[in-house]
Amino acid sequence: MCDHSNKNIYLPYLATVEEVIDETPDVRTLRLVFQDEQLRDSFNFRAGQFAEYSAFGAGESTFCIASSPTRKGYIECCFRSVGRVTEELRRLEVGDSIGVRGPYGNSFPIEQFEGKNLVFVAGGIALPPLRTLIWNCLDLRERFGEITIVYGARTEADLVYKRELKEWEERGDVRLVKTVDPGGNGPEWDGRVGFVPTILEEAAPAAENTIALVCGPPIMIKFTLPVLEKLGFSDEQVYTTLENRMKCGLGKCGRCNVGNVYVCKDGPVFTAKQVKAMPMEF
Amino acid sequence: MTQTIDTNIYAAVTEAIQSEAQRILAAGEVTAIVGYAAARRKGSAQPIVITSADDAQKLIFTPACVNNLAVYLTKAKKEIPKSGRIGIVVKGCDLKALVGLMGESQLKREQLYLIGVPCAGVLASTIQPDTGLTSDSIAPKCRECDAHLPQGCDFVPSQTPVTPELEKKYAAEIARLEALTPQERWAYWKEQFSKCIKCYACRQVCPFCFCEQCLCDRNKPQMVDTTPRPAGNTAWHIVRAMHLAGRCAGCAECERVCPMDIPLNLLNRKMAKELKELYDYEAGFDVHDKGPLNSYTEKDDQSFIK
Amino acid sequence: MQKHITEQNLNALLDKLIAEGKRVVAPRLNAGTPLYEPLKNSGEMITDQLPRRSGKEAFFPLCEDIMSYTKEGQKVELKDIDPARFPETVLVGVRPCDAAAIPVLDAVFSWDYKDEFFLERRKKTTIVGLACTKADDACFCTAVGLSPSDTKGSDLFLTPLEGGGYACETFSDKGETLVNNHAGLFSEPNNAKAVALAEPGTEAFDLKKVKAWLDEHFEDPAWDSIATRCVGCGACAFVCPACHCFDIVDEGTEKSGKRRKNWDACGFWKFTHHASGHNPRDQQPKRYRNRIMHKFKYYDDKFGQTLCTGCGRCIRLCPVGIDIAAIVEEISKK
Repeated sequence: MCDHSNKNIYLPYLATVEEVIDETPDVRTLRLVFQDEQLRDSFNFRAGQFAEYSAFGAGESTFCIASSPTRKGYIECCFRSVGRVTEELRRLEVGDSIGVRGPYGNSFPIEQFEGKNLVFVAGGIALPPLRTLIWNCLDLRERFGEITIVYGARTEADLVYKRELKEWEERGDVRLVKTVDPGGNGPEWDGRVGFVPTILEEAAPAAENTIALVCGPPIMIKFTLPVLEKLGFSDEQVYTTLENRMKCGLGKCGRCNVGNVYVCKDGPVFTAKQVKAMPMEF
Repeated sequence: MTQTIDTNIYAAVTEAIQSEAQRILAAGEVTAIVGYAAARRKGSAQPIVITSADDAQKLIFTPACVNNLAVYLTKAKKEIPKSGRIGIVVKGCDLKALVGLMGESQLKREQLYLIGVPCAGVLASTIQPDTGLTSDSIAPKCRECDAHLPQGCDFVPSQTPVTPELEKKYAAEIARLEALTPQERWAYWKEQFSKCIKCYACRQVCPFCFCEQCLCDRNKPQMVDTTPRPAGNTAWHIVRAMHLAGRCAGCAECERVCPMDIPLNLLNRKMAKELKELYDYEAGFDVHDKGPLNSYTEKDDQSFIK
Repeated sequence: MQKHITEQNLNALLDKLIAEGKRVVAPRLNAGTPLYEPLKNSGEMITDQLPRRSGKEAFFPLCEDIMSYTKEGQKVELKDIDPARFPETVLVGVRPCDAAAIPVLDAVFSWDYKDEFFLERRKKTTIVGLACTKADDACFCTAVGLSPSDTKGSDLFLTPLEGGGYACETFSDKGETLVNNHAGLFSEPNNAKAVALAEPGTEAFDLKKVKAWLDEHFEDPAWDSIATRCVGCGACAFVCPACHCFDIVDEGTEKSGKRRKNWDACGFWKFTHHASGHNPRDQQPKRYRNRIMHKFKYYDDKFGQTLCTGCGRCIRLCPVGIDIAAIVEEISKK
């Protein structure tokens, strides 16, 4: 619903915080409902797109829209408080107002994934950009082949969307392999112990007719891509999202570029092939 | 009346710098030398870091060698290697900054090889680099220079600069501003600060702005508004002047590089004047453990307590 | 359309425009510093100095409010800006290097999302270019395909003539409207010769060759030798007619405040710094590389032009003498 008309492209929509969910001690989900009733129905986005969220007085911060486009009436964002804006966003309570600009950027080409197996590979706080797609696919379950989710974090406490991990575990139509780094497991831990790339190597489905979707810290991506290659995935079969510092989200302000690629316009979703063609500037 | 300033010694100074640089690099006495090299524009110069004795011939000294190279030795310039002993070409005014940095434990004397320059003056910022040095084209700071021949260096070429007495512009301007009412003075600075575009050139060239993260670049909390508007501009320039009080020895790089011609060194000189009057302190001559604003003695002025 | 105007009539034109309530922006001295600023009267205009900052700020100001907010309990109210912000403007006495940069900026602010702040001003501004008669050895417009008489970006272009006055040529409807609305001040062109125009000493760069080298040399030891001396200020970007990066910040209190858009620069370490502490351009040479890449490759990749008009301001004002013309010339010889 990109509005390209000649008006103030920097003016956010107002939304109300409907629910606050603490994912980990420092990661929080906000469920947002647009204050303009018409917008609640008309706000369309695709999995993978991002938005600029305002804490008025502090500024804007960039995150993906973490809820699925199939779930109407609200959007969710999920963030760790590390900077001035995210700390202000964390102070928001149910009923408070927040600004939202978006949706921006490209998206996962979900139509091209139909009829294929999907393996989602995520680390830590990087599950949200995949979670939007996971629910999108699960809500249209019959269109996709086998779905595998390999998700790891440093410790049990660092896993986000814990309730949903349980839900995915209990569903018969998706396979969740959860893992924590060695030493990150408590006595009750019922998942795997090991780094994501290692666990992926054991748990990944066959590469044939499969798409891999990878999101995580740079170190995880660095070690995951060779594993996928070893498993027979071509670079066109592997998708990831990039994050760079952004301000406008509109291809103007000039800071999110990686070489001549603007993450805000050309991304944030890229194939491994595209990422490998970029200079090392992310 | 325009007065020509004799810079004939600069050719011999250049030769002396080159041969000394060649010698100390070849002998392994230093790992690198920060100096000046000629640039494309006629008569222009720019900073250069050389690490090979073969490059010693690139070093020059001319009236266009305006930079205070001390900035490259601070921890703010991470790109310059800090291992081993480093040579640096310094004018007397630049040396004062190094002395200050030593006092603040940023540099150790034994890590430096100081190549001092006998200097009659350099060009003002808005002057085309191939202009001859005259009483009109000379940088304002050079008009009141008290360090034409740097002291305590490892090497200084033997030439002696000819240094005519010139009218001291900062002193005159400070006297003029001091004679104004506080309201008039405020109006003057308000107008000057309103020109600021927040390019931070003044901060980036200052040898004493070596903070890992400037207060102005922090946003938790946002102490100083970042936009180039009155509130943030005024806050920034006051913060800058205060942080430099008792430290700035007047290299005037801030003023030279300001694209908007804000007389920043006036603020610094005024602060230095206050320090001299209150504590009989002048920055840049000796390595002090603590400046007057970091130490307390019973003789300190207490008249501000009312 | 070709016309002639005397200096006296040009001043009369500007005064008339000011009297009509139009904003007339031209080079003038602000406490001794030449800048493009709104004139109070035509006598303030200077024509013999290149303003310290470029003409882009007539469209893309150093800092502007883009909205305001007020908070009351859990409710927030946002206020859009007042369109009266964008008055009818005539930008006069613009050097060719500054005028040529404006179409270059059009591409950025109008591709895909339309930035009304830039484009509304653009729509309401008539640009009167002025041929350049004075160059120094920092000027290099001729090296990037322009010239002291280049009319790119101008709606109306003035060339100073021997014996006084200016030859006027229109290049758009806006230019023609300006002339037609004040026809009495213009006369038919005479055959006076133009005064000697500036002659920048630089030869044309082979910009294709420069781009071809940049295409292949993101990683190259040259970046260190070029930019180790860079101290990381924003002077080059801020005085540049084509640089257009900006920041968006909120300034105000808990209760109310403004959101502002202000110039930013890729030379600042903070520009790409993530809140997590990670910085993709963690060293100054990487930041300076982005400047060169953006001007001579990235912008060209996207819009088929060069993001530099050779005004030479960054060369004159760089605190450490970094000379973009020398750098590009060196690259063109590689």
